[in-house]
Amino acid sequence: MLIVAGPVGASEHDGGSHPERPARVGAVLAGIDDLHLGSDLITVDARPATRDDLLRVHDAQYVDELEAFSRRGGGSLDPDTYVTDTSWDAARRAAGAGIAAVDALGARGEGVAFVVVRPPGHHAEGARGMGFCLLNNVAVTAAALTARGERVVVVDWDVHHGNGTQEIFWDDPAVLYVSTHQWPLYPGTGRPEEVGGPGAIGATLNVPLPPGATGDVLLQVMDDVVAPAVEAFRADWVLVSCGYDAHRDDPLAELMLSSADFGALARRVAQFVPSPGRLVLFLEGGYDLQALRRSTAATLGALMGDPAEPEAPTFGGPGGDAVRSAARDRKRALDEASDRLHALGSLDAPVTVRRRDESGGAP
Amino acid sequence: MTAPMQIVVGYDGSPDSEDALRWAASVAAELGATLCVAHAVGLLEHAHLVPLSAHEERARSVAAHAGVDAAAFEWCVLDGEPASVLCRLAEGADGPVLLVVGTRGAGEHPGAVLGSTSLALAERAPAPVVVVPRGPSAEIRPRRVPDGSPRA
Repeated sequence: MLIVAGPVGASEHDGGSHPERPARVGAVLAGIDDLHLGSDLITVDARPATRDDLLRVHDAQYVDELEAFSRRGGGSLDPDTYVTDTSWDAARRAAGAGIAAVDALGARGEGVAFVVVRPPGHHAEGARGMGFCLLNNVAVTAAALTARGERVVVVDWDVHHGNGTQEIFWDDPAVLYVSTHQWPLYPGTGRPEEVGGPGAIGATLNVPLPPGATGDVLLQVMDDVVAPAVEAFRADWVLVSCGYDAHRDDPLAELMLSSADFGALARRVAQFVPSPGRLVLFLEGGYDLQALRRSTAATLGALMGDPAEPEAPTFGGPGGDAVRSAARDRKRALDEASDRLHALGSLDAPVTVRRRDESGGAP
Repeated sequence: MTAPMQIVVGYDGSPDSEDALRWAASVAAELGATLCVAHAVGLLEHAHLVPLSAHEERARSVAAHAGVDAAAFEWCVLDGEPASVLCRLAEGADGPVLLVVGTRGAGEHPGAVLGSTSLALAERAPAPVVVVPRGPSAEIRPRRVPDGSPRA
């Protein structure tokens, strides 16, 4: 069963010729239609995030200023990021859609949810929007879950590092943030040495990849680096920041994945899910409309057991060395962070367990 | 006081960043420091969806006008959000670094008195940071006194 939360942003929050545009939602919905799911498809409305929902991850001053800025007609937050008079309402609904998806999954106890929303969210930090993002949609949902006592893995395969999600959960041991991303590239964060704050050492996992990396490299990351960390973490939920801008046709970056690779990635990530009905994907980037449509169909088709992959998987690109290097750099950073905490006499048991397990699994 | 070996100034073409560049250039010229003018490439600029501007030409002109020798000028372009770019440049420098930014960059981030870059740098920069204010106070320059040490 596929639960679609939304859509949000099919007409509102329109920046004209900007690549983060309403037509992206139409392309994603077309990809879902291509699967002909019939009664296996359920749509739930995106309810606006409440102020309490937002304030779990965002500063009150930023939330208030963003709303006022949009109500005044908006403008530019930075050279990349626009706000219109409809952006606030769209962003609030986008931020609340994930919670609606979680509730729908929880009521049914099965299925997969896809949150079809824009503006995207993973660049939005606690106190500022940036990189096309205003409110951090996946973080709002993850924080709602941790407030219920759940442990959450966020897998971010968007081509850009999710600096906002990392920043929000930097020192939160209840959220494991995992990102694969092109490097160097905007926003310039996401080095392997970034492993989490003193209260959550190891709960941030970054694997930067060179331009040209192909699908086999991403799968290597999932198998060799991510899987051991996720297994040690013991999550209750898996959320995916599901950007499609790592596709080879995307105009904003230079990774070389095909739509079939997203299907394979989705199958890998599904293996991280502890029990049925605990997987939610959030639309992030992806700016080529045909790639969006094909990649959506491939991802959801793979999860629904009905592969729809008109493109072949990709392999042979650079990045294998980068994966091994990232694992080494991460292990070194974990060791150094643990040593610092030992020196302060404040290392707690869960951190020790996580570091030891993960080190054993890294190449 | 030891003169900074490298002054790194964030420059995005906005009026505030040009104030910062003028200040940084005049200080670099006075102290004989290297001037690294840093331009952070965002999402749209990376994809050439907005024109790659004539920022470098403008920056060179401002620096030269302030007396910075061409050999002491570096144009540093990196992909990333401005604060992370400036931090990476500071971390990668061989010697002492002074980071310089304007009050606010391009865009109209709502509400805040300071722009997000200057605030982020204040929190996490690995080097001293100067936020150059708008207006006449941006004209304050250090001067060398006869013993050779700089004085504001």
